[in-house]
Amino acid sequence: MTGRAPERCAGAARLPWFALLLGLMLGITGCSSTPKSYVVLLPSPDGSVGKVIVSGAQGEQVLDQAGQTAALDGRAARTPPSQAQIDSDFASTIAARPRLPVHYLVYFSTGTTLTAESMALIPEILAEARSRASVDISVIGHTDTVQTADYNEQLALGRASAVVELLKVRGLTADSVAIESHGEHNLLIATPDNVYEPRNRRVEISIR
Amino acid sequence: MRRALLLVVLSCMCCMGWSVAARAEGTPIGTVKTVTGEASVTTAGVRVAAAVGTPVFQGSVLQTGRQSSMGVTFKDETVMSFGADTSFTVDEYLYAPAQGKLRLSSKLTRGSLNYISGVIARLKPDAVTVTTPSGAIGVRGTQFLVKVEE
Repeated sequence: MTGRAPERCAGAARLPWFALLLGLMLGITGCSSTPKSYVVLLPSPDGSVGKVIVSGAQGEQVLDQAGQTAALDGRAARTPPSQAQIDSDFASTIAARPRLPVHYLVYFSTGTTLTAESMALIPEILAEARSRASVDISVIGHTDTVQTADYNEQLALGRASAVVELLKVRGLTADSVAIESHGEHNLLIATPDNVYEPRNRRVEISIR
Repeated sequence: MRRALLLVVLSCMCCMGWSVAARAEGTPIGTVKTVTGEASVTTAGVRVAAAVGTPVFQGSVLQTGRQSSMGVTFKDETVMSFGADTSFTVDEYLYAPAQGKLRLSSKLTRGSLNYISGVIARLKPDAVTVTTPSGAIGVRGTQFLVKVEE
């Protein structure tokens, strides 16, 4: 009766028939009724579908298909909640979903000077930030592998700081700004040491 | 004299301990992004009405009232929203990818949650859990809805 037999209607087999009948009439046997506490798996915003594992006193369910549901106690629901039920249970929850974070990459010609193309992207980044009621920004600087790791740690920090300065001068306001340096340790394009690679000379800006 | 010195040393230690605790708690892990109706964020026993921009900390309890809702975006870009009559606690939040410290364990006591994975779930698939009164949810990088009805 415990755990790993979610397909069975746990407990029901032991009950006398009249109790089952009464239960069915009242809709309280649990097994046959639609679960009130449940999970629904949805696709991620990028369209991919991950997995959730629900484990409770009645067993374990693995959900890996979009739209699949499971009761929170881990039993397999014979009558899963209808789409109409899901829509009504979660309408306000879904409506409260914050805007998804967005990401930008800007590149550098020399030192902490942005390329012309990246400079042209700045107004779009500012517009995105302005369109949000509350803005948190994370800015991470990177370099290629020319020069030493220590030098690049500082250069990447300089790049991230220069981008933040530029955004602030152009009127950015944010609840929080986090500046980080990954130096030459987080290459976009894998290269050996001491390789000039413009695509690695970059700053990642995340607005959430 | 010696007693006075001891007092100074003790009070210094006390201050240091206090400031360390304050700092640990003083780093927000997320921000309230949407609110309708009545919602609150309770941290270390202090309850504040939630508004857009209200910070969320490790240990914060997020609550919504009747016909209310709230949305929160965390540092690692995990996005959550809560429907009416919800109580949700962020028990543990670790986001230090360079040190491999990644953890998001939480509790949904009642109400509803829409969860969208962030970097923590992407980098460490078993690092995200949501416990509820009747069962626990392990998350492997995805979006889901969950409702707890008592």
